[in-house]
Amino acid sequence: MTQPFPVPTLNRIPWHGPTLPRMDHAAAQLEKQHVHDVYESTAPYFSDLQSKAWPRVRQFLQEQKPGSLIADIGCGTGKYLKVNSQVHTLGCDYCAPLVEIARSRGCEVMVCDNLNLPFRDQGFDAIISIGVIHHFSTKQRRIRAIKEMARVLAPGGQLMIYVWAMEQKNRHFEKQDVLVPWNKALCSQPFSESGQLGRKQPCGRPERGHPYHPPCSACPCSVCFEGRCNSKRSHSVDCDSVLAGTCCANISKEGEEENGFYNTLGKSFRSWFSSRSLDESTLRKQIEKVRPLKSTESWANSTISIQPSRHSSFDLGHPETLSAGEQNLDEEVFVEPSQGPLEWLRAPTTCKQLNGDHPGVIRRNGDGNFLGGTNAQESCVDEDNFEESTASGSKSWRRISAADSTDSNPGDAISVEEQPNVLDSRAFMRYYHVFREGELCGLLKESVSELHILSSGNDHGNWCVIAEKRESCD
Amino acid sequence: MRLLTHNLLSSHVRGVGPRGFPPRLQATEVRINPVEFNPGFIVRMIPKVEWAALLEAAGNLHLIEVPKEPIQGYEHNEEFLRKMHHVLLEVEVLEGTLQCPESGRVFPLSRGIPNMQLRDEETET
Repeated sequence: MTQPFPVPTLNRIPWHGPTLPRMDHAAAQLEKQHVHDVYESTAPYFSDLQSKAWPRVRQFLQEQKPGSLIADIGCGTGKYLKVNSQVHTLGCDYCAPLVEIARSRGCEVMVCDNLNLPFRDQGFDAIISIGVIHHFSTKQRRIRAIKEMARVLAPGGQLMIYVWAMEQKNRHFEKQDVLVPWNKALCSQPFSESGQLGRKQPCGRPERGHPYHPPCSACPCSVCFEGRCNSKRSHSVDCDSVLAGTCCANISKEGEEENGFYNTLGKSFRSWFSSRSLDESTLRKQIEKVRPLKSTESWANSTISIQPSRHSSFDLGHPETLSAGEQNLDEEVFVEPSQGPLEWLRAPTTCKQLNGDHPGVIRRNGDGNFLGGTNAQESCVDEDNFEESTASGSKSWRRISAADSTDSNPGDAISVEEQPNVLDSRAFMRYYHVFREGELCGLLKESVSELHILSSGNDHGNWCVIAEKRESCD
Repeated sequence: MRLLTHNLLSSHVRGVGPRGFPPRLQATEVRINPVEFNPGFIVRMIPKVEWAALLEAAGNLHLIEVPKEPIQGYEHNEEFLRKMHHVLLEVEVLEGTLQCPESGRVFPLSRGIPNMQLRDEETET
């Protein structure tokens, strides 16, 4: 696995990309927009939900010795904090509104940052991290989060980590870095295990099962840093050498006013690549705006795919799929997809910008940093290829049917409907880095030697690991 | 925030390292919550407590005198265990501040919730 090309800091913008601190800043910005702000905005709806407590996690907590000190890092509304009355469990989360909800349920909680845990070393006998690590947008940050937890864990203490798996039975992630829409529908009424929820479609859209073809399938660039794109590619650019963001700057002029959010997001990523700071305030405005979705939509950043909803599974009348599995750890996030085709749209200025101000790229090869930058030269070359492939390659953003994610039904589009509600699904997209099989274990073995893996497996569409802090040799 | 929780906290302002422990506790509002006494639980908790930090925090809250250290045979000393149970689990700070002993940085504590988030420029990363 190649390391990031070392880059000097300060004023000189190297060919090989933004500096690592700037990448970390960009990562933090992405997480702010698509993790923290979303949780904060949607927190009021969480108190209505009976979030699922994974049995295996409950079991882990119940097996801890009486008198143990336990931390739930990323506790959300605190569903695991009272599982075992014989231990003292401290819940921590970055999102203050969620922490407030947990507190209102009588839990001991605090607000802090997984990347800088405000605890002394070795204070906890056990730690759980359920559905948290997959919200960090770079490998370095994921490692740091895990190392922080290892630091505050006592020797011999155990850490349980759950992350969303890329490999799912009933849905198909073509990329590891995804934005998942938020399912307002699940929050407009109480969550019901019986799946009644699925029958109440607030907006009354017809449900259809369609295959999911992410825009990237047509795109010459690869975003599968840890493997190759499954999808057919229309040209021969080597996956490994085509880097994230090749298409990210492609923005259509024609759709601009209709697709402001995505255009802006794309612009922000472009700006990042061009060494300008992310235009946070513009992003914010777009996020807060509630607008009807039009018939065309662009996703400007090829590195992230927007996940279609799992709503079709409700509609098929299979309530058990909701509770049984393959779900996001926070099941309430699924939403109806907006509509229509997602197009790879072009910004002619892109290459110029990249070549001019900031020709930089950090070459990544499988380290999972989707913010890794773009190869300007190749993106210029790819423009031509892209043109050719657009017609055949540009696909609709479709939903998969719960029954068969490989169904191919490319012709249909889902009709747009106005969503007057405040919680625009399009605006509350949550970022996830979904993990491949073995990736989490690999991460621990490679970068967190203070932890020794005891067991690992798959639980309801999540990769989970239980690791133990090695006894100190000092 | 209970004192047992406070006992685990350490400021992580960039550069302070282990000198961020313990944060200095000031309270403007404290509440006593009765909690069922579980001697086994307290016995197991005692060895995990950083005693000096607990003394300092209890002192700042003007609590009844906390023993300077675990007394001999504490496992069977109910009076001692009940005292520790009270200090560690029944005293809740609702409003106050936590101050980094090294950098002076003040963290808020509101509605029983400490907020230890750092601004970007204060962090290690």
